[in-house]
Amino acid sequence: MNVPVPPPRPVDLSVTLGSLTLANPVMPASGCFGPELGDLIALDRLGALVTKTIFYDSRSGNPAHRLAETPGGMLNSVGIPSPGMAGFRSSVLPRYTSFDSPVIVSVGGLSQHEYWDVIDNLDDQPIAAFELNVSCPNLEKGGLEIGTDPREVEEVTRGAVQRTRRPIFVKLTPNVTRIDEIAKAAEAGGAAAVTVANTFVGMQIDIERRTAILGNTIGGVSGPAIKPMALYLVYTVAQAVGIPVIGCGGICSTSDALEFLMAGAAAIQVGTATFGRPETMIQIIDQLPEAFAAHNETTAAHFTGSLVAAA
Amino acid sequence: MTDVLSAPSTTSNPVLAAARVIQNRNIGDRYWQLVLEAPTVAERSKPGQFVMLSATRPGELDPVLPRPMALYDWDSTSGHVEIIYGVVGRGTHHLSTFHPGEELRTMGPVGQGFDLGPAAGTRLLVVGRGIGTCSLMAAAADAALQGAHVTTVESAREPRSLFAAEKYASKGISDVHTVTDAEGTSDPDQLAQTLRGHLAHHPPTLILTCGSSRLASLCMQLADEWNARLQVSVEAHMACGLGYCHGCSSGRRSSGLEGPLVCHDGPVFEYDPTTHGYTTMGTHTRTPQQ
Repeated sequence: MNVPVPPPRPVDLSVTLGSLTLANPVMPASGCFGPELGDLIALDRLGALVTKTIFYDSRSGNPAHRLAETPGGMLNSVGIPSPGMAGFRSSVLPRYTSFDSPVIVSVGGLSQHEYWDVIDNLDDQPIAAFELNVSCPNLEKGGLEIGTDPREVEEVTRGAVQRTRRPIFVKLTPNVTRIDEIAKAAEAGGAAAVTVANTFVGMQIDIERRTAILGNTIGGVSGPAIKPMALYLVYTVAQAVGIPVIGCGGICSTSDALEFLMAGAAAIQVGTATFGRPETMIQIIDQLPEAFAAHNETTAAHFTGSLVAAA
Repeated sequence: MTDVLSAPSTTSNPVLAAARVIQNRNIGDRYWQLVLEAPTVAERSKPGQFVMLSATRPGELDPVLPRPMALYDWDSTSGHVEIIYGVVGRGTHHLSTFHPGEELRTMGPVGQGFDLGPAAGTRLLVVGRGIGTCSLMAAAADAALQGAHVTTVESAREPRSLFAAEKYASKGISDVHTVTDAEGTSDPDQLAQTLRGHLAHHPPTLILTCGSSRLASLCMQLADEWNARLQVSVEAHMACGLGYCHGCSSGRRSSGLEGPLVCHDGPVFEYDPTTHGYTTMGTHTRTPQQ
């Protein structure tokens, strides 16, 4: 007697971040992505595209060297060069919006008002969401990063939310004592989601020359080396806030992505891995349905925060 | 100087490929010869371009960053691509452990290569130091094939560090000069005198250089003296190889403008004798390469 095999349950990869629904939870991390990759991978398949951080004015980056390799990771002090609003609108953004995936614009500022000016300027554009990169020095407050002060984060988020109907995500810096408090501040300011996290501050020294390898002396560490720390921050923030968390930090594979989802992320960003393997995001998207099925889950939402407490 | 809105590259047409290692062997000093089966790269490459090479086996996380590697030689018939690399750090040491039959991941060819112009009447001088000689080989070979007279200088630390003579000979280039630190022949002033004497009656119309800022300064002097065009290939730490990460640029905060990207606007830049600086290839009107 033949036992009928039940058809496989369809897997739904879509995720919801505030008012934005993405076809799948996989997107690039800001700065580690550009439309140039469209020559190599199918960008229309990504859950979203995320731009490099844009500032209102044109600015250069840091002096060379801007990159160094570390065990299991890399250091960068690119310094976020920016073409300014006019260049971004005319030459950069159209290259992103030419693809079908929703475009998330990463916004930087050297003051709270600069973030808001960027949003005002771009609100007429076909953008899905804004991600505030709060790892920028606030020149009005002695250069301290906006993202290290809960009050600053709440204010900059609230001002952004007031200026646009699009969802505001806040990308948190890991270089703080209590990231949960910063995340709560973003939530209180009206953020639709928080991205956890950015690079960890680090440095490397050339012992022969007795000089820092990076032209800027210090930089941000990224790559697989930071994955356990980033995962812990996602786990911490996901328990502290009610808004979705976008996990980011050293994700190189589908199993890494699953760890972040289980820790509480609703979506994930891939950064450094794309440099060595530009197809990483596509591979994760391809493998997620089978990975979900193997864990008896049919939706990404069911996976999020499904970590089982140790007995 | 360019701003950060680099024009989309017109000469790069990169592909992702898993390239089989055909050969990977030490050829003297710290230099290794790597031959890969990479048919699309072999088909699309132009002199002066490079590939991003990821030296990780499946499951390996290190090294995280791919390495930019100059394309030394290629053959579109066999689909083989030849790279010479120096073992200088963890990444290149790991690369040297790959055996024939294993696969390396490549992204390329990328970058703006040399612009040789019409071969007729061209007298080419190529001046390379160490691993920098690699990016010059294909340009020298192409020029020689098209009938240009080619003079080459290979500079290195010591005689066992020289690797290009045989390849130059196989490309029909016989006016080959080698200088080394060990023999006391590589000093730029001394080399300048040698070249002035050797080329006085038929000075070059085009100079290409790579691998040493001191030799680039020397080539600048000679280009001014001889009214020759000069193109320099620049090395830099890179991550993306395509222009989106801006890791290979050098910033100038005061100007508010981003410097050129070595990966996308270079690696080859053209000397501008009016400013004594370098500009992005193709920003001056010139006869296109035939």
